[in-house]
Amino acid sequence: MHEYSLAAALLDALRERLRERPVPGRVRKVHLRQGELLVLSQEALREAWRILTEGTELSGTELAIETVPVRVKCPACGYRGDARYLTEEGWHFKAPILSCPHCGGIVEIEQGRDLAIVALTVEEDGQGANR
Amino acid sequence: MHDIRLDFGDILKRQLELAERNFAYLSKHNVRAFNVMGAIGSGKTSLIIFLSRELKEKGYRVGAIAGDVAGDEDYRRFREAGLVAANINTGNDCHLDAHRVSHVLEDFPLDDVDILFIENVGNLVCPADFPLGTEADIVVISVTEGDDMVRKHPKIFAQTDVMVVNKVDLAEIVGVDPARIVADYRRINPHGRAVLTDARSGKGIDELLTVLGL
Repeated sequence: MHEYSLAAALLDALRERLRERPVPGRVRKVHLRQGELLVLSQEALREAWRILTEGTELSGTELAIETVPVRVKCPACGYRGDARYLTEEGWHFKAPILSCPHCGGIVEIEQGRDLAIVALTVEEDGQGANR
Repeated sequence: MHDIRLDFGDILKRQLELAERNFAYLSKHNVRAFNVMGAIGSGKTSLIIFLSRELKEKGYRVGAIAGDVAGDEDYRRFREAGLVAANINTGNDCHLDAHRVSHVLEDFPLDDVDILFIENVGNLVCPADFPLGTEADIVVISVTEGDDMVRKHPKIFAQTDVMVVNKVDLAEIVGVDPARIVADYRRINPHGRAVLTDARSGKGIDELLTVLGL
């Protein structure tokens, strides 16, 4: 349940950005990138966003969340690419394994812990509602 | 409608940077720190106290930070056990984060300790997303929680260096096979080390110290 604090951090950062550099029109959708290593519930994040944006210029905006796979780098054999996932039956969800798919060595995480706003979908209504 | 790309900073990257700063700060003071995560009631505090006793005999000076949503019960236990200790109440947050820990480290007498245990809030979900800047991450569970904890919380187990299965003396009574827990852990984390302990009698403590390089 850290979705509220993360949603609040995303909202603060976005509002500050919009104050500094307003967009021409009303924001309809906020596009997020979320790494698959995070233990974040998208449902809870959307609900937190809905509640926290109430009464702000971003009220009613939709969160479009794109999950990005875990990518790793192996210092031993030089492998760079997707991590192996444990998807066998009996496991509750897609779980990444932080071990090199090639040589089995210990890997460094290159991608998979991300939580970032990557784009906004804006409707030009001439009102400049997000200014 | 049109899309505007943003070159927005990743909000968790800031946490990672703060964690790296904590690690550098601890290293500057020659302190080796361990993040002790785990389930509520799994025995994190008892385990830290037992480890500290053994470490003191080896000549180490040990400190502990107790992280809890509220209260100072664990902090007082650390003090009673003779540890240099500090308390963090997170209010409503279900995990510690590098920022909160950095403020405690500023006031902590780091020059009086060699080893620092940071006991995270009892939780197998949220702490996984927040590195603190420690040398190793340890996750503690106990057999009384059942033999499917790794399957239920794969991400935290996939990312931690050491898994401790505590209260193994009760395994038979509660009908749990610790070997199943260890087998699950090996599949999700081939490089992690699993240690079975009983923090009351001290079973497995020596092995855990070896695994931690202490």
